[in-house]
Amino acid sequence: MKKLPGKFGTIAALLLVAGVVLIALGFFADKQRAFFNYIIMYSFIVSIAVGSLGIVALEYMTDAQWSTPFRRISEFLSFGIPFLLLLAIPIVFGIHDLYHWSHKEAVEADPILQGKAPYLNEGFFIIRLFAMIVLWLIFYILIIRNSEKQDETKEYKLLTRNVKISIGFAPVLMISLTITAIDLIMSLEPHWFSTIFGVYYFAGSAVAALSAMVFLSVSLKENGYLASELTDKQFHSMSTLLFGMNVFWAYIAFSQFLLIWYADIPEETFWLQHRIHGSWGVVSLALLFIHFVIPFLILLPGRMKENRLTLKTMAIWLLFAHFLDLYWLVMPNLNKESAFFSWNEIGSLLFIAGFFMLVFKFKADRTNLTPIGDPKLEQAVGLHLHPDISID
Amino acid sequence: MSVHKEMTLVTERTSFQELDNVVFKPTESKPTIKWYISMGISLFALSLGVVSLGYTFYYGIGMWGNNNPVGWGFDIINFVFWIGIGHAGTLISAILYLFRQKWRTGIARFAEAMTIFAVMTAGIFPLIHVGRPWLAGYLFPYPNQHNVWVNFNSPLLWDVFAVSTYFLVSFLFWGLGLIPDIANLRERTTSGIKKFFYTILSFGWRNSNRHWQHYEKAYLILAGLSTPLVLSVHTIVSFDFAVSVLPGWHTTIFPPYFVAGAVFSGFGMVATVLIILRKVFDLEHIITKGHLDKMAKILLATGTMVGYAYGMEFFMAWYSGNTFEQFVFINRAFGPYSWSYWIMVACNVGFPQLFWFKKVRNSIPMMMAIVILVNVGMWFERFVIIVTSLHRDFLPASWGMYAPTMYDIGIFIGSFGMFFTLVLLFVRVMPSISLTELKAVLPGSQPSHHHHE
Amino acid sequence: MLKKLKEKFVEIDGDLRLEERSNEIYGVTAVFETPDAVIEAAKKVADSGYEKWDVNTPFPIHGMDDAMKLKPTKLGYATFTFGTIGALSALAMIAYMSGFDYKNIIGGKPFFALPPSIPITFELTILLAALFTIIFTLVVFNKLPKMNHPLMDTDYMRRVSSEAFGIFISAEDKKFNPDEVIGMLKSLGSSSVNLVYKFATDEDKIKTPIFKPAFLGILAGTAVLTAVLTYIILNYAIYTVPFDWMTNQPKLNPQKMSTLFADGFGMRTPVEGTVARGFKPYESYGKPDSLIRIISNPMPFTKEVFELGKKKYDTYCSPCHGNYGKADSRLNGQFPNPPTLHSDKIRNWKDANIYHVIVNGQNIMPSYAKQINENERWAIVHYIRALQRSQNALDSDIPVDGNKK
Repeated sequence: MKKLPGKFGTIAALLLVAGVVLIALGFFADKQRAFFNYIIMYSFIVSIAVGSLGIVALEYMTDAQWSTPFRRISEFLSFGIPFLLLLAIPIVFGIHDLYHWSHKEAVEADPILQGKAPYLNEGFFIIRLFAMIVLWLIFYILIIRNSEKQDETKEYKLLTRNVKISIGFAPVLMISLTITAIDLIMSLEPHWFSTIFGVYYFAGSAVAALSAMVFLSVSLKENGYLASELTDKQFHSMSTLLFGMNVFWAYIAFSQFLLIWYADIPEETFWLQHRIHGSWGVVSLALLFIHFVIPFLILLPGRMKENRLTLKTMAIWLLFAHFLDLYWLVMPNLNKESAFFSWNEIGSLLFIAGFFMLVFKFKADRTNLTPIGDPKLEQAVGLHLHPDISID
Repeated sequence: MSVHKEMTLVTERTSFQELDNVVFKPTESKPTIKWYISMGISLFALSLGVVSLGYTFYYGIGMWGNNNPVGWGFDIINFVFWIGIGHAGTLISAILYLFRQKWRTGIARFAEAMTIFAVMTAGIFPLIHVGRPWLAGYLFPYPNQHNVWVNFNSPLLWDVFAVSTYFLVSFLFWGLGLIPDIANLRERTTSGIKKFFYTILSFGWRNSNRHWQHYEKAYLILAGLSTPLVLSVHTIVSFDFAVSVLPGWHTTIFPPYFVAGAVFSGFGMVATVLIILRKVFDLEHIITKGHLDKMAKILLATGTMVGYAYGMEFFMAWYSGNTFEQFVFINRAFGPYSWSYWIMVACNVGFPQLFWFKKVRNSIPMMMAIVILVNVGMWFERFVIIVTSLHRDFLPASWGMYAPTMYDIGIFIGSFGMFFTLVLLFVRVMPSISLTELKAVLPGSQPSHHHHE
Repeated sequence: MLKKLKEKFVEIDGDLRLEERSNEIYGVTAVFETPDAVIEAAKKVADSGYEKWDVNTPFPIHGMDDAMKLKPTKLGYATFTFGTIGALSALAMIAYMSGFDYKNIIGGKPFFALPPSIPITFELTILLAALFTIIFTLVVFNKLPKMNHPLMDTDYMRRVSSEAFGIFISAEDKKFNPDEVIGMLKSLGSSSVNLVYKFATDEDKIKTPIFKPAFLGILAGTAVLTAVLTYIILNYAIYTVPFDWMTNQPKLNPQKMSTLFADGFGMRTPVEGTVARGFKPYESYGKPDSLIRIISNPMPFTKEVFELGKKKYDTYCSPCHGNYGKADSRLNGQFPNPPTLHSDKIRNWKDANIYHVIVNGQNIMPSYAKQINENERWAIVHYIRALQRSQNALDSDIPVDGNKK
């Protein structure tokens, strides 16, 4: 099995360091703003790391074969989960800068916040923050250990065992991501609520994690790291899934938007109000086009789903779209008046890229890039698919 | 290394010819006594509905239990219930097709037919609720003599478009699938009159590969189109409630929650009917325990999703800090209709959890009991959403209670009668299993250089 | 009687069975037992340069399109095109109908906005895309329906519809030579090779089952029956006892006389002095006809005004007064008959009198002040004048030799 070049690790480390420097500078310049940026970055890393573990679990649950040759990519990415324990620490110190409900005097003056106090209080918030990470970590260890052990033992029962663990993981994943979304993002505006919010974050995370997998699969395949038997058809399935997931995100986003827009009740509308007017309105419109319209039209033709360059571009594009999505969720809470971008955002992006490259490199140096012990692999490589959905 | 096994599609090893004989048997032989008994029961239920409907038309919808706070009663509950039932068919025929789940082939045709019949049954309720069903033409925008157009901002109009599109597209999809099987019947039959009709219905299909090429693509495109369509239909049904400002109705999770619930109830109904059907028509080796096992797993998954939505609604009602929201949910769980709420929770979230156990999934009586409970639970879900939200709104002076009359119940029973009558007629006159699809995925039916078994 | 019917039935049945064949060869068929055999054979046939040939299988065989060297289907383009047409026409329809032609304030929403238009746009996109995908598959690409093909009703078709795989080579192919073709197919491992003959009558002249008179007769009969029944039900049945329960209900109707209130109207009017939003108070409101102040019609004689008048007249006045003011509406006979607008009395009225009746109501006619605004009322007056003129045209109104007025 070919190893990743050392250069890869160096670049990753450089990106990471550059990111850390920029983020640190951000904290010196404007602490509150830097914390808001940090929330975006943390949610994004959770999206990819936990979302990737979700993809691994999904493959086991649905007994999918076509994705088995790519499973390791998601497995490696989910190695980000242990580091979340470290990455979550700054949030603890930023609670007062981030969350209005954490100020005692604000709660005392506000009966609604008093009502929410049993849930939205510092102690419980921190417990939930770390409890979620511990939960993910437990399932990470359970699933990945079996998968890696299978490379050597080639035992069939490891597969069935992982199927069971994955099924157990599904409800845990759904609930933990919902709690993460409510705590980290929704409670930035503590008066606002939306029951679909957990599903919204879940859908966005699925798009991001899939994009990461697609991008890495295509790049690794192009450079000869993956089995040569893999054909366009496998990539076609992968991009169909990405396409479908992105449509699902759009569906959830539209449902939330339409219902709030139509009912137009003050408890909910104020949240959308400052997002659809002024310069935030431009960002909202950009989000619609960047996250949905453009990828939809580009990935619709079947030919495009097999074009490696398009796939790679769209994967990176959608990763950026997810970042923008989180930005759109988080930042208007800091400044309702107008949208603003600056070098602070670049720091987060560099850090994210460097972080996941390093995580990937670390695992790739120690583990097979293909789950060679998995009995499904044989069927996967000789797979014949239906004719593709396409408009040509 | 052990070989990864997929589910066996047909338990007894049969030739294609024998498969034809089994599937076409109902269409080529006289009905059995079991069929006559089932048909008799269905027709009796249907006649109850017809009589109740007759009373309704004669005296007006004042015969129903609908009253002032609860202006939507059994009619809308049944509408949403039946529309939901239809969703499993499209899910099996379209979404599982796109996910290449081969096990769907045995039950797809039947589930699609159920979709069509369920949508037909559902369509009756809004029609009779308008009071003058013969004026339903006004629901569509056509240039009428008063220069008046329909209200495009109303979710009820969206329903008109969604349900009609859903019916038409499902019908076309189903019809397209039937063409090759009817062509097969056409070549088998010895009766001239039967041949005449089969020739017309099969469009003169002759299994040409030059035709299969476009046909397969069309099937795939239709599956691709039906997938978002099925999501949209129940989403739009959920909009009927969710675009309002009524606590208990207006909540953003409604669209995906309704879709999950629809798939859940649909699978419940498909499983119920299949368990009976495989017994009545001796199809136990084509609709196997494996199929039922998969369906149980889907029921478990969707039931849990519905449970997530219940939990989310309850949590957000508390979290919102809005007293009206909080009251509606307290009232649901502990108010005068709390019995219906707990029936709903138990049947939809509780009992399906038994499907975690393989023993339960493999036991036909247990499975039958649970899927019937699922049907009951999902009917009560709509009852809870509609009745408990309406009967106590913002103004305590206008609170009231709702109770259905015997005409409501008669029409409800009649809807089951109609549905099962159509199902029973379908299995008599059409191949209820898609032979083309089933044969195509059996071992040995495809060139070997493409298969690594 | 019953016996006769049965005989007739058997006769029709026999007629429909088989079409007679001629001696002319239509082509050669070969049956193969396994998918592997047929795909290998298909490759050979394609390589040998035949063009008019086909593979018949009970289900699609993976890889056969490549083996036959078929070009990829262009079906996707049709789907995409018609999906786009569906989306655009839905948006155009909604924008025109609710944003332009019939503006109504509903729930304080804009007349036309994108978010609530998306559901219907989406449904129509899917509907058109699906409908035309099927039309293109069956009719355009596959040239179906084809109800009588020489391959039908052969043992070959019977087998390849069910369990075997076959290759058919047409006699119309340029390279076709019966002996050569039979030899080739046998050498490719076919288990049975047969000749298929053309129909005795010319293929184009055989009536497709759909066009057989009996079938067309049944269809026409059903159509006529449905139309007649619908007409009778909608126009007569629902107005006769006992189906007229909707028209005769024991309740107070806004359009009915009532003994309950002193003024004899079923409809209640708002509190005196109520002014609707966007409406000016009318000074002669409630006064008898003779006491009103005569004001002249301020609306100009333009096409737009007449069109506005016609639209509002059709919506609000025509249900009683009829489309042309002749009091011949659908309600005639079920309701106190409205007067014609072509009487001398009304023709001699001033515009202000008609305006007054619209605002004030008269006899059983309620006030329309709340439904129709000031300009619209005057536009209706213009339109009524035009209707009256049309019914009582003078000789001078007729243009002479193109000297149109």
